[in-house]
Amino acid sequence: MNVVDLVDVVKTYDSEPPVHALRNVDLTVAAGEFVAVVGPSGSGKSTLLNLVGALDRPTSGVVRIAGQDISALNDAELSGLRGHHIGFVFQSFNLIDGLNAADNVGLGLVYSGVPASRRNALAREALDRVGLAARADHAPGRLSGGERQRVAIARALVGEPALLLADEPTGNLDSVTGASIIETFQRLHQDGSTILMITHDQTLAAATPRQVTMHDGEIVAEPVPA
Amino acid sequence: MSEPTPAPTDSARLRSRLLPRDVFGVGTVGLRTRKLRTVLTATGIAIGIAALVATMGISSSSRADLGRRLDALGTNRLEVQAGASFQPGTTPALGDDSVVMIRRIGPVQYASGITTVSATVRRTQYVSASETGGISVQATDADLAATLGAGVREGRFLGAADMNLPTIVLGPGAASTLGITSLRDGPLVYVNGTWFTVVGILDSAPLYPNLDTAAFIGAPIAERLFKTAVAPSSVFVVTQPGQVDPVTAVLAATANPQSPGEVQVSNPSDVIKAKNAADNTLTALLLGLGGVALLVGGIGIANVMVISVLERRTEIGVRRALGATKGHVRSQFLVEAILLSTLGGVLGILLGVGITVGYAAVQGITFSMPAVAALIGFGAAIVVGALAGISPAGRAARLAPADAIRPA
Repeated sequence: MNVVDLVDVVKTYDSEPPVHALRNVDLTVAAGEFVAVVGPSGSGKSTLLNLVGALDRPTSGVVRIAGQDISALNDAELSGLRGHHIGFVFQSFNLIDGLNAADNVGLGLVYSGVPASRRNALAREALDRVGLAARADHAPGRLSGGERQRVAIARALVGEPALLLADEPTGNLDSVTGASIIETFQRLHQDGSTILMITHDQTLAAATPRQVTMHDGEIVAEPVPA
Repeated sequence: MSEPTPAPTDSARLRSRLLPRDVFGVGTVGLRTRKLRTVLTATGIAIGIAALVATMGISSSSRADLGRRLDALGTNRLEVQAGASFQPGTTPALGDDSVVMIRRIGPVQYASGITTVSATVRRTQYVSASETGGISVQATDADLAATLGAGVREGRFLGAADMNLPTIVLGPGAASTLGITSLRDGPLVYVNGTWFTVVGILDSAPLYPNLDTAAFIGAPIAERLFKTAVAPSSVFVVTQPGQVDPVTAVLAATANPQSPGEVQVSNPSDVIKAKNAADNTLTALLLGLGGVALLVGGIGIANVMVISVLERRTEIGVRRALGATKGHVRSQFLVEAILLSTLGGVLGILLGVGITVGYAAVQGITFSMPAVAALIGFGAAIVVGALAGISPAGRAARLAPADAIRPA
């Protein structure tokens, strides 16, 4: 089953002049794949992530995430799709300062109506998967950058989403820490997670089984999977 | 290429859902992380609510205290006064037998009249007769003290044996004007050529403040010495408890059967209560000030919430990415504003109760706080918070998730 299906997707922003962020993009990600989308700034990576993440709708074409055509969904249904099927990891971690690590991870379940006690148990399990079980009660301010990003990964994982979306997940980290984050993703991939990662770092992308290169809103190169 | 997967029919499974308990939890995160801001913002509301609650509490305590004092004096007292005469040239007065007639009304326990004597009370004959000091001389009978419910501070009231003797009882104001504070040396006062012995000084009678400056002598001696014909200007009446209305109905006709319309019947405690109720200018002013403070506090909350929404753009984006709907984001900021305001409201109620307790202690009156004052304070805080939060919460909800998450 395909987790992501993009068919002839166009995204144009109505500015003056109009920005053609995506031009007739086709992309399919099957369950269990680990895909890196690479390309320079302005190539349309972020727009692609907004669509695949159900944060925005295409101007034309079909975007199907976990079997749902997002153009057919209203705002509440898009929220539900994001909450239940997509896990986000951001460049700047975006943890909430007032909550400890476990509560930040649990936030990934708050909007799915999971009760607090169950959230806490699942959050600790997710932190264990990223090697941070011992930091569950720490506030984000007391964690290193790499630890914060692992908390963010645990938050994305905790709802067992169909798709893990990572937006420059190592962009704010040094290369050693960044490498450990990529290792974490690789381990999750081996455990069966479907991961789509956006990066402009070619060496990082080289560590993933499949790379998609974008330029000026189009997919310009995709090596045929071996 | 694989076949596109058919869309799941069970779309309810996909719905975002925020448990009611979590609505509260999510709404407190912002307040807990910015404690100083929370306290400062809540203080504005607290001042407004405190002013409202304290005003209601002080007003209620004062009223309850007055009511208690009046009830202690008995609400079964009436006063009959000679009103304006309809016929020019005649003196508006009650007949000399009016007191006797009133005493014959079944439920009347006591009745006693006062007739103004044209005489002056002085310490000695060397004081000019024109310097009355505002002291009036009233001729009365031995029942007056009991009828007024007035206590005697020094000595005793006039007895039946005093009626034809040169003895006099002073109201508290009259006594202090004459400089008589004690009866130990058997003080005398000079009343139009005759020395009268002061046998008693009254306590002030709260229901009859105008009698404070009166001096009382027996009606017979007033008639003998000063040619005062008994024609009471006022007759004071005490009825059996619960019989005020039937007595009121017949008093005028009994006191002056010829022209009952010239007689006024009043209930002194009602008069005082009505006067007190009408004297609400200060209360209204304080309530107005409290309302203004509340308005300013509400604007403060709205202001802080607008700033908070701007600062927490990314947080809003993250929550939307994690599955929060527009409604969830709106409820988060609305709950935050209401909690902020409610916190201020609770502080304000405590402060208002404290102010009232302090006021009651200083004034020596009993603390009284109507439960409705606390409810009004609490309700006002919630309403102000909700009104202040609506617009910022709407802004937060309308942020496009993609824009919020990655500020341009």
